[in-house]
This record gives sequence, structure tokens and C-alpha cells, in this order.
Amino acid sequence: MKYDVVIGIEIHCELKTKTKMFSGAPASFGQRANTCVNEIELAHPGTLPALNKTAVRYAIMASTALNMKVDTLVKFDRKNYYYSDLAKGYQITQQFHPIGSDGYLDIETDEGTKRIRIERLHMEEDTAKQYHLDEKTLIDYNRSGTPLVEIVSKPDISSGKEAAAYVSKLRETLFYLGVSDVKMEEGSMRCDVNISLKPAGSPVYGTRVEIKNLNSISNVQKAIDEEIKRHSSVYDAGGSIEQETRRFDEATQTTVSMRKKEGAVDYKYFPEPNIFPIQLDLDWVKSIQDNLPELPDQRRARYMKDYGLGSYDANVLTSNKDLSDFYEEVCKVAKDGKIAANWCISELSGALAKRNETLSTMKLSAVHLGTLVNMILDKEISGKQAKEVFEDVLEGKDPKEVAAAKGMKQVSDSSAILSLINQVLDENPQSIVDFKNGKSRAVGFLVGQVMKKSKGQANPAMTNQLLTEELKKR
Amino acid sequence: MTILEMLKDTAHAEERILEAVQKAHESQKDLNAIVTFIDPAEQIAHLNEHKGGLLEGVPVALKDNVNTKGIKTTASSRILENYIPVFDATIVKKMREAGAVFIAKASMDELAMGGTNTTSVTGPVRNPHNLECMAGGSSGGSAALVAAGVVPMAIGSDTGDSIRKPASFCGVVGFKPTYGRISRYGIIPYSSSLDHVGVFTRSVKDAAVSLEVLAGRDDHDMTSSSLPVEHYLDAVKGDVAGKKIAVLKNVIDAIDDEATLHCFNDVIEGLKAKGAIVDVVEMNEDLLKALLPAYYLIANCEATANHSNLDGIRFGNRVDAETSEEIMIKTRTEGFGPLIRKRFVIGSYGLFWENQEKLFRQAQRVRRLIVEEVSRVLKDYDVYVAPAAPGGAPKLDDTSRDELSDKYLVADNHMILGNFTGYPSITVPMGLSDGMPVGINLTGRAFEESELLNIAQAVEDITGLCDSKVGD
Amino acid sequence: MEEIKDQAYFKALARKLMFELTDEEADDIVQEFKTLCVQLQLLEAIDTTGVEPMVYPFETPTVYLREDEENHTISQEEALSNASKVVQGHFSVPRVVK
Repeated sequence: MKYDVVIGIEIHCELKTKTKMFSGAPASFGQRANTCVNEIELAHPGTLPALNKTAVRYAIMASTALNMKVDTLVKFDRKNYYYSDLAKGYQITQQFHPIGSDGYLDIETDEGTKRIRIERLHMEEDTAKQYHLDEKTLIDYNRSGTPLVEIVSKPDISSGKEAAAYVSKLRETLFYLGVSDVKMEEGSMRCDVNISLKPAGSPVYGTRVEIKNLNSISNVQKAIDEEIKRHSSVYDAGGSIEQETRRFDEATQTTVSMRKKEGAVDYKYFPEPNIFPIQLDLDWVKSIQDNLPELPDQRRARYMKDYGLGSYDANVLTSNKDLSDFYEEVCKVAKDGKIAANWCISELSGALAKRNETLSTMKLSAVHLGTLVNMILDKEISGKQAKEVFEDVLEGKDPKEVAAAKGMKQVSDSSAILSLINQVLDENPQSIVDFKNGKSRAVGFLVGQVMKKSKGQANPAMTNQLLTEELKKR
Repeated sequence: MTILEMLKDTAHAEERILEAVQKAHESQKDLNAIVTFIDPAEQIAHLNEHKGGLLEGVPVALKDNVNTKGIKTTASSRILENYIPVFDATIVKKMREAGAVFIAKASMDELAMGGTNTTSVTGPVRNPHNLECMAGGSSGGSAALVAAGVVPMAIGSDTGDSIRKPASFCGVVGFKPTYGRISRYGIIPYSSSLDHVGVFTRSVKDAAVSLEVLAGRDDHDMTSSSLPVEHYLDAVKGDVAGKKIAVLKNVIDAIDDEATLHCFNDVIEGLKAKGAIVDVVEMNEDLLKALLPAYYLIANCEATANHSNLDGIRFGNRVDAETSEEIMIKTRTEGFGPLIRKRFVIGSYGLFWENQEKLFRQAQRVRRLIVEEVSRVLKDYDVYVAPAAPGGAPKLDDTSRDELSDKYLVADNHMILGNFTGYPSITVPMGLSDGMPVGINLTGRAFEESELLNIAQAVEDITGLCDSKVGD
Repeated sequence: MEEIKDQAYFKALARKLMFELTDEEADDIVQEFKTLCVQLQLLEAIDTTGVEPMVYPFETPTVYLREDEENHTISQEEALSNASKVVQGHFSVPRVVK
């Protein structure tokens, strides 16, 4: 039977602020347990929240980038539940008035561009981190109170691949904004998926299953694909799907049940009395919205327009912001953006992958790579020589110096090349005969001989052209 | 002795502080008003750093829900019996800067939830005027210590009438200024949208001085006001000529205690004699009768959430068990008194999804109507007044109240109006009924504390009950 | 259908709030709940059609936002000073079932 797949995605994303959402204690990672706290994250009695301005700014940036309406009257609510990692026994969140609403993100699918609507973006606070040992659980409140935004999509996604594209695009967007580290493996971005299947075309939704805590984009896709298979086969066999929460098991690459739904939990949401509604300064909001960092889509379009890149190259570059930023530095020097792009995409990325390094760990300078590109364009060295020089450029060396030290130069003087050509032709009469008999292979052989005589410094393109002309004369 | 008198003679501050400590210890057997005694030696040693402060060398008692760094703060609850704060409440810093010396943490109803001060884990507080009577609550310890002349100033908190009622019962001035005037940071809460910090003093002028120290914007409290702090004392002239005063008819009608009404009428006549324009004003009776139920819901709904942090994990009196959930349950079961647990149950009931609209949200809607009703009155009048309570302090063992009567719903609880509106409200002694003090309550417009204190001073001038001794 | 507000109901409710009630306490609540319901009728009797709930005593929006600068951090020792069980700088509880 054919099914329609209905998927909605909730993303929790930690904001990269200096301090906590509601307190002036540091929001930092990897510190000694319980050293990035004050009485507020520990929920000592009598403490009150004080809202972080940068967290609000980041939430506005994210909302704007996701094409959302921004509510300039900021309000918070309490979500009440008891759990050992939740110090106050309630979480301060924005249940009733999310700061961002009604947005969307366009993703690329096999069928073309698809718009995924985003219902809401709201600010809230993270919980403490628990370490479960055999006998006991240890609690570290350093993460407690870290600013979060939760971004909830509409159920517009219909496959694992689309889900992956959505999460990846969202991640890229937030990263370009500089509002979050978006490291899924480290938990600074967390993904929950709601999925249900219904008979194709049916107006009635199927039972919804939630898959929690997906920690990579590939797992988002795998988990959904697995879940679609599971639902389909259950439905095909006439069975029914239970409403429950599942997780993706790395070992078996399947989803497994975490807990059955025992009726909806009542979080007893109510407006947070300790935070009066805050009217944001409209000029401030506008200046944030008008000065958003360039987003991936905008950058892609600019690359295609300004550097003449094809959409594939533009995509490859922009999907890696560090590489893309580096590319722009290269282009400040390089006279041809397309050749610079080729070098960044193939040579540079290849070298990084081979060495298992990143741009930040390499000594390589963008100015040097740009210079190298220009040396090729100016026919100072050949492409082959350039690859050799690049090895040293990766180590932080100046390509001009490297080429000079290696005695590399490209002969582009036509009379010098011509003299070499005539020497080679004189020495190889058989090849001339072959050429006249239509054996085009002879040209390749003769070019090789010229290159050899020039010790590889003859400009290959020029050599090819001049040789063909000379052959015709003979 | 009043604060103002002490300030005139700062040379003897140390003596007075030690005397206050001694009196505090002596009072304990009778009043049981203190949870923790504070040794003032170190504060005395630093006294000269605060020369010229508005509270220089003044011994002060703090309600035990005021966080004091390094000094046990229990809110009179078993669950916080061993809690030692790592931070000071904002007002503690302010008072210390002004030269105050803290000598005691005063008893209160457990977690400030109550009006009798009989629910403290350390036992009931007794009224200095008659040890068989209650001091009132929830700030009963603070009220009793000021009434007994132990300290000239004590901090209280007021969510329904928790300063103004015990002030009436104990015969002292009890003042809560406008919501937001004084920072709540570091005050263990009851109900965030109703909680006010305030003060007990032995004169209206002392209340004015105290306010100047306590008031002011605090960035740690997002509900605190940025309006400038005034020199309140300058405004306290007792000049009521031409002032418009509304007498709350609904409250008067619900009171049957002749002596209370007599005292009240004397004050009213006095105000008229001083040139005030006094009218009897009636508020919507249905709204007034809904005041207590609306309050009960709002306060307890907020309280059940506010105290969800008390789980024994990070602080407080943990009761060990096999699982962490059982730790929470045992800690909270043994840590909270029965009254507290009952109120949390009701509060939570009112917040349930299926009930919230018709209970909590309905209460909040009624709150708006009530606030509109009060502000309608205050559009035409500078203050409204009524007896603070229908009579003197009840006996500690008195269980006779009828919780559905007008007397209870209106006369006993009308001061909640001041918490619903957030308007400044003060209780000033007005006389005795059956040997026990009774007070008059005055409520003014938001942030117009100067005017309210000015008119309260006129009342004090009329009664002559300034710095009066127990038994006067 | 309305649930019956008996002893068992309130005991179960209390459990959700992470505490127990004794039989006697639960009975008290059942009784007090009756009084409360009469009081609540006074509340329900007020016509609040078109009236917005009042969450805060003052409703003029504020404008203050805290600057994102570290202003107050306590030491690990202070953080743990009130804890009854501490293990390696952490608050410790019996293993929490996820």
C-alpha cells in the first residue's frame, strides 16, 4: 500500500552567549562541574530571573533569517514538572507568545525547491547535565540556564532525505548567523522528530511517534527511513502503531521504544509572574534585522553572480562556512574566482581530508593560495608545477619563493618554444609522416618531446598550438 | 525608641544594639518571635564604615524569608531548617550600607503562607499585648519584636496582608509600599505577583526613613520600578487639609466590634477636623466577596510552582531514600507542614489544564475587575481607609471563624486589595478593643508613597500612638 | 464526567507534586474543598466576559534587558555548600531512571 509520510521537526539549539539566559553566570562548556553557576541556576529560594539581552538578539536574528514574524513584546511562561535536572521545578519558556512565528525555510529536493513552514521559535533555558553511574547520578549545573531556542516546523516534511536537508539547512543558517555552535554530536543542537504515516491521500492522520535526541543529520535520515519502513510494514500487515517515544539505536541502526505515552503530560503552563512583558526597542530590532550576517542562500547567489560559479560549486563552498570564508579571502587576491573555487574545492579540500586537518589547524594563507592562482593565470608556472608548489603553500610558504627556489618558470616566449619545436621536428621525421597520414597521436608524442626538452617549462597550450601550425607547414 | 531618636544619638549605637540583643533573648520565652539570633559583634566592628547612613547603628530584625549570606534562613519551614544562603537579599545589602545592624531572623508562618503565625516549625508567635493572643501573620515575629520594643524596625513581607494585619494586632505601623518599589531579590517567595516587601516601625516617620533605604530599582528583579526614590521623610507633614479620603463602606458594614468602629470613627472625625474631605464610598460587594477566593487561587497557584525548587537536592533538609524520586517525595512530605501541602494541592488543582481557565485564569480576570474598581475610587480620592481588621488579635486557640461570612470574606481580608492592585498601603495603630490594639489601614495610589505617609502621619497625630509601649 | 474529589483523588494529586498526604490530611482537604467550592461560586458568579486575565499588578511593559556580561559567579564550594551529598564536585542522588 502507498502511504503519505508526515514529519515535523523540533530543534533545540543552545545560543552562543557569554552568560546564562536568566543569570550573569558564565555559559561555558568543558569547565569543572558546578563552577559556572550562581544561586540562580541552582534555584536557591528567593532568586529571580534577569533576561539576557544577547539571547534576545540572537533569537531575533534566527527568527528573521527563518522568515518569521518577530513579536516585539517579549513574554515568558512557566512549564511545570519535577525532574532531578530541573532546578526550579519549572522551566521558563515562551509557550503562549513565541518571539518568532510563521516562518519558513526552502530546501532543495529531487523535485526542486520545497518550502518547509516553521511554526514557531521560542526562547527557553537548558537543564542541568546528569551523569548516570552504576549506583548514583551526579548532577552538574553548569549547563543549567544556558539559553536555548526551540524551532518547531510544521509537518511539511515527507521523507528522511527532506528531513536531513531541512536540519542541514537550518544548521547552516544558524551557523552563518553566528548564534550557535550547532554541534549535534556535542548536544548544542538537538533534534526531535514527529512522524506518522497515513494511506496516500487520506485526510486522517496516523498515530504519531516521536523520535528523540537524534545526534547527527545522517541519523535523522536513517531513523526516519527506518521508522517509515516500520510503520509501513505494520500497517501493511493490518496492525496499528502505538503512540510512543522512540530513540535511534546506533548499534542496530533501528529505532527502539523509550516509553509509551501515558496520556498527555499536563505541564500546567502559566505566564511567568517574575518577568513583566518587555517591549523591545523597535529601532534596535530593526537594526538587528537590517544587519544580519550574509546567509548561505545569499552567499550562493553572490558566488554565482560575482565569481561566475556554477550552482554545484557555489553549493559545495557555502555548505562549509569555514571553507567559504577562506575562499573569499583567496578571491581578494586571485584574479579568477572560478579557478580559485576549483582549487578550494578539489586541491584544498582533498589535502585537508588527506591530512585529517581543518583550515584553522593549517598554516596555509589565503593570500598565498590567491597568488598561486594568479601565477597559473599569468602563465608563470604550469598547472602541474602549481600542484607541486601547493604542497609547500599548505605549509605556509610563499608560492613565488617556492617556484623560484625550485627554478620553476613557464616558457611562454613563442620564439623560444618555436626553436625547440623545430629541433624536435627535425629529430622525428617519422612523426611528421604519421601526422600527415592522419595519426593524431603523433602530436601528443611531439608535444611531450618539446616539454622534455624545455624541462617541463614550456607552456603546454602554446606548445600545442605552435606545433600544430608548424606541422601543417611541413 | 524610634529610628529617628536613635539617629540623633549615634554615639550610643553599640550600647543600644547590645541592649536590643539582650531584650531579644529575654523576649523569646514569652513571644517565641525569633528563629535565629544573629551575633552582632562583627557588624558593630564595621559600624564606622556606615557613618551618616540613614539607619546608622539601628538594630533591625529580618523576617526569616529574607536571605542572609552565611546566616541560616529557614522561612520557618522544616524543609529549609539547615539552609544557609550563599547570597544576600538586595535589601540586606541596602540596609547594611545604611548602617543597620541585624540582630535576629524573625518567625513567620511557614513559607509566609498564613495569617496567624501559628504554623512556623518553631511554634506559634505570641502577641506582646496578651500572650494568649496571636501576633498575626505571616510576619508575626517581626511585628511582635517591634511591638515589644526589641527593635525599632523589622522587615516583613506582605502577600495578602501579612505585614498590615499583624501590625494591627500588635499595635505598630506596618507598611508595604507599591509593588516594584522594593526589590524582591533574595526574599523567599510566596506568590510572585502579589508579594511585597515592607517594614514594621514604631512611627510613620520611621516607616518613611525605612522606605528611603529599602526602595529603588534592582536589575536582579525585573519587576522592580525605575521611578526615582524620594526623600519620603520630607513629605511626612500630617497635612490633610483639602485631602480627599474615602471610607470603605463595605468593610465598615461587615464589622460588628463596637470598640473598633469607635476608634475608627474617632480617627475619621480627627481627619475631618484637620480639614480632610471624607466621604463614605461603596465598592461592588460581589467583587469584594470574590476577593478572597480569587486571592486564594492566584496565591496558591503561583506558590505551588514557586516552591517546586524545594526538593532536597541542592539545599535544604534532604530525607534520604532509595531513589531520587523518593528523596524528593520524602523530603517534601516531611519538610512541609500539612497546611502548606494542602495549599499546594489546591494551587495545583487550579492550574490543571482542565481547570485553569475557570479557576486560575478566572481569578486573574476577577483581579482585573477588582483593580479597576479600586482605581475608580482612587481617581477621586487620595486614599481610601478602613479598619485593618474586624477587631483585635484573636486568641491563639480561636477556631471560631466562619469562612463564608461577610465578616471573614470582606472585613477580615479587604487588605488583599492592596496586593491585587500593588498600591501602597499602611496600617497605623488607632486604639484598643478589649485591651488589644486595632489599626486603621490606608491605601493610596501607585508610587505615591509620600502622600500616603503624609496622611498616615495625620492619623498618628490624631491618635498620639507614636512609639507607644505595650500596656499603654 | 467530573471526577469525584475524594481522599484518593487528592492523595494522587499530591503524589504528582512530589509529596504524600496522610489519610487525615486528605480528609481535611476533602472537607475544605467543599468550603472552597462555595467560595469559588462567588468567583464564578462574576461576569468576566471580554476581560483579560491580569497577570501582573502593573501592565506597562518594561524595557530592561540584562547586558550579556558575566556579573556574578559563585565558587564550587559555595555551590555545593548546602548539598547533603556531594561526589567529585557534583550533587549526588541515587541513580535516576531515565
